[in-house]
Amino acid sequence: MDDMPDNIVEILISQQAVERRIAEMGREIAAAYQDSLPLLVGVLKGCMIFMSDLVKQIDIPLEIDFISAMSYGGVQKSSGAARITKDLDCVIEGRDVLLIEGIVDTGMTAGYLLRNLQARQPRSLRVCTLLDKEVRRIVKIPISFRGFSVPDRFLVGYGLDFRQLYRNLPYIGVLSNEITGLDRR
Amino acid sequence: MAVITISGEPGVLDKEVAARLAGQLGFLLIDKAGIAQLSGEMDLEEARLQKVDEAISRGDTDIDSETEACARLLQDSVAQLAEEQDVVIIGRGAQGLFRNLPGTLHVRFIAPRDFRVSQTMTRGRLSEREARRLIKTQELERARYLKFLYNLNPSDPGLYDLTIRIDRLSIGQALKVIVTAVDEMELRQVPRDRIVKDLLHQMPERKDNGRFANAAETEFAGFLEFYHIPFEYECRTFPLESDAHGKVTEAFTPDFYLPEQDLFIELTTMKQSLVTRKNRKVRKLRKLYPNVNIRIFYQRDFYNLMAKYGLLADKPVRNG
Repeated sequence: MDDMPDNIVEILISQQAVERRIAEMGREIAAAYQDSLPLLVGVLKGCMIFMSDLVKQIDIPLEIDFISAMSYGGVQKSSGAARITKDLDCVIEGRDVLLIEGIVDTGMTAGYLLRNLQARQPRSLRVCTLLDKEVRRIVKIPISFRGFSVPDRFLVGYGLDFRQLYRNLPYIGVLSNEITGLDRR
Repeated sequence: MAVITISGEPGVLDKEVAARLAGQLGFLLIDKAGIAQLSGEMDLEEARLQKVDEAISRGDTDIDSETEACARLLQDSVAQLAEEQDVVIIGRGAQGLFRNLPGTLHVRFIAPRDFRVSQTMTRGRLSEREARRLIKTQELERARYLKFLYNLNPSDPGLYDLTIRIDRLSIGQALKVIVTAVDEMELRQVPRDRIVKDLLHQMPERKDNGRFANAAETEFAGFLEFYHIPFEYECRTFPLESDAHGKVTEAFTPDFYLPEQDLFIELTTMKQSLVTRKNRKVRKLRKLYPNVNIRIFYQRDFYNLMAKYGLLADKPVRNG
């Protein structure tokens, strides 16, 4: 997929740059958890490709699990509150848990999940994200492992979507405002 | 009102189940952190709250009236919160507070002592002796708490709608049982309909019963509520200019305050000239109150937020 789809106006981070950084992050995480058996919890679906590549670069024993929360505006009829749509399969009390996000921007979803997971009393709970859009942050999220700090643009690819599309792009691309609807504002 | 109280014998993973249940149902979880926040809102210091808990848990016979008042105030606040939204409450004598009330489900987790000891040893990385001692202490503390507040015994099966042996059911199975009970008892409130897209097109006219100034603020408030982010609306006015007599001639009231973030947010969807004036006010505020954390949410930020959730685009897109 060398050619950009028409709706992608720019490749912000190339596939090679993403892969290089993920290899570094893998080493950082391995060093941080060398004395424990961490549980990596991927936040679906944005974490999917990132996590898949990341775990291959972490050279210590680890376990993985996944969690998913309903997004704002994701349903026509909402009860007005976020809820977990896919919960963990394992118990995390007393475990060293690392939450894996594709992107943290406002911090709303990550904050919601962190509060919920913290209530289960893990021994430690940290956050790893491929992309950190700090300029948009509303809820403070302590990020322990960060791939890239990114500007306030609409990013897709490498697992990140717009209306469930573009996740399969092998790079981080900037989506056209025509698609997001921002051009009409 | 829908209230689920979760209590259990020490070592039965009741906290894990409560958190999962709240997450699955989209209910607010009131756990230790939630209680700390509530006590903060009541200007009840955490240290003071801890002393109250300790006095009750120790079984002090001479608990003073102030300590008792603090404990009861906290119970009142939990009850108020439950009137406003659906909640899952872990511990805190909630089965006593809400006993026999409609719209409530009381769940108790139990397991044989050896199972609980083994769980406590694994989770807390304790020896068997330490685990047994901890369980015994916690059993006593929990019993004293409920007895002090409501003269009830937590082991009384009549307090619970459901009693679940967690050594025989997996957490997932236990959750299914509870959710089925919630559904069958029709505990959940009727969902609110929210047609998000329409809000944006009606932006200048739309009001929320006068609570918010415009539809953008209504939408933003809905967004915060969705993610359980506590906020206060127009809660503080900052004087910016005063005349010679000390009378305030210019002031600024940010739209939202997020106490957990200690962050004020001013939301604007207005035209550029008004934004400029607002920018000037915010600059002045930052200069006069350097410790106040404030952020302007511009029209662009707001639309970016809506775009993120696909709420601006109205035509189907194709990848490629």
